[in-house]
Amino acid sequence: MAEIALKPTTRLTNIVVDIADLAVSKDPGALLITYSLGSCIGVSIWDPVAKVAGLLHYMLPESSISPDKAKANPAMFCDTGVPKLFKAVYQLGATKRRLVVKVAGGSQLLDDKGTFNIGKRNYLALRKIFWKNGIMIDGEHIGGSISRTVRMEVTTGTVIIKTRGGEVPL
Amino acid sequence: MIDIQLEQLIQRAESLPKLPDTTVRLIRVINDPASTFQQIVDVIRFDQTVTTELLRLCNSAYFGLSRPIVSIDDAVRYVGTAKLMQLVMAAHTHALLGPEQAGYGLLPGALWSHSVGVALACQVMAGYLKIQDKGLLFTVGLLHDIGKIVLNENVGAEYAGIVRIVNDEKIPFHEAERRMFGITHAEVGELVANRWKLPHPIPCCIRYHHEPAALPTPDPIIDALHLADTACLLLGIGGGDDSHMYRIDEDVLERTGIKTGEIENIGATVVTELKSVQKLFGFE
Repeated sequence: MAEIALKPTTRLTNIVVDIADLAVSKDPGALLITYSLGSCIGVSIWDPVAKVAGLLHYMLPESSISPDKAKANPAMFCDTGVPKLFKAVYQLGATKRRLVVKVAGGSQLLDDKGTFNIGKRNYLALRKIFWKNGIMIDGEHIGGSISRTVRMEVTTGTVIIKTRGGEVPL
Repeated sequence: MIDIQLEQLIQRAESLPKLPDTTVRLIRVINDPASTFQQIVDVIRFDQTVTTELLRLCNSAYFGLSRPIVSIDDAVRYVGTAKLMQLVMAAHTHALLGPEQAGYGLLPGALWSHSVGVALACQVMAGYLKIQDKGLLFTVGLLHDIGKIVLNENVGAEYAGIVRIVNDEKIPFHEAERRMFGITHAEVGELVANRWKLPHPIPCCIRYHHEPAALPTPDPIIDALHLADTACLLLGIGGGDDSHMYRIDEDVLERTGIKTGEIENIGATVVTELKSVQKLFGFE
């Protein structure tokens, strides 16, 4: 499978975002990347003027199940991770109204009947928090029974979703 | 169907990196109800490398102990046998489970992270389900996917065909493996565990981790392993490309009474613990 070249002439530094983790950057030579999104959701935000990018990989919808863990690691939950991601890009000079927002993940098992439907709950939690805050989703790659890797270039905001089947820009 | 000769699989199993002798001995004494605390400690004491490694771990920031640990007896006293055994086994399976398994889309480190994640999830699950045998659960959690290492090459070559069977026939990935090769990664895992002479019921737990309903009578250990594995697969804890092409057994959910909130709690605990274990070993 041929990898889509984001910027063939430059060598980019990978900033890897682990599960329950987030990263922001304004380094033009950086690529934010997160591997193996399952029922988790990857939220990428980018300001085209300030050239600031942020990527969050949260795993669960609500911090109320464990306030202690949310305090130690806000990126674990949607309701604590998303505000933290937005605040972090604002600190680097991004502005809310310019942000391009793309999301991926929320996978589910085969024939899921509800108990294990964390992917769907994760996605609904995200829609809810975005709706409350007047944030539009500009692109999404959600659901199904697949694993996804998200790559995001800081200077161009290009987001690529990689699955076993190939790569698509979002 | 692609016919894989059993001989060929066994040969490949033989060439896997060996589990260190100490680990195999540990697995045997921990899972033998007749063994004493002293026997467990002795397995470690007589292995100089493991002793040195353990003392280093015990004195690391991970445990945050206020006084230096200078002997195995100290380590056992302050850290606890169960925790020590787990760390030894997690460290010793890294050579085996750490490499990339491209056939399953498992990046370097992913299968080890998944295996340690499932082992940790099994421990939490044992608490919920009031299962006493935490040592056995940790062991089977850690080793449940060893069959993937053996079957990796074949799965890589036939991946598109396997996924086609999953989609066309609406069956889980391991059943599609059976259609394609006549054997699943779980059954290959049982084979490997038997070759390594791991004690009963470890090989059996490995074999049924995706299909607890295939057992003549339900088994609490296999139920717990099935739930722990499926939760980690779903959440993408050390995930591969096949991670979501499995089913949760509804009867197991009913038997155990496990609910979404508990699965989420387990996920949060496992990821937190796994991150500190990865940091401890420098396997980030």
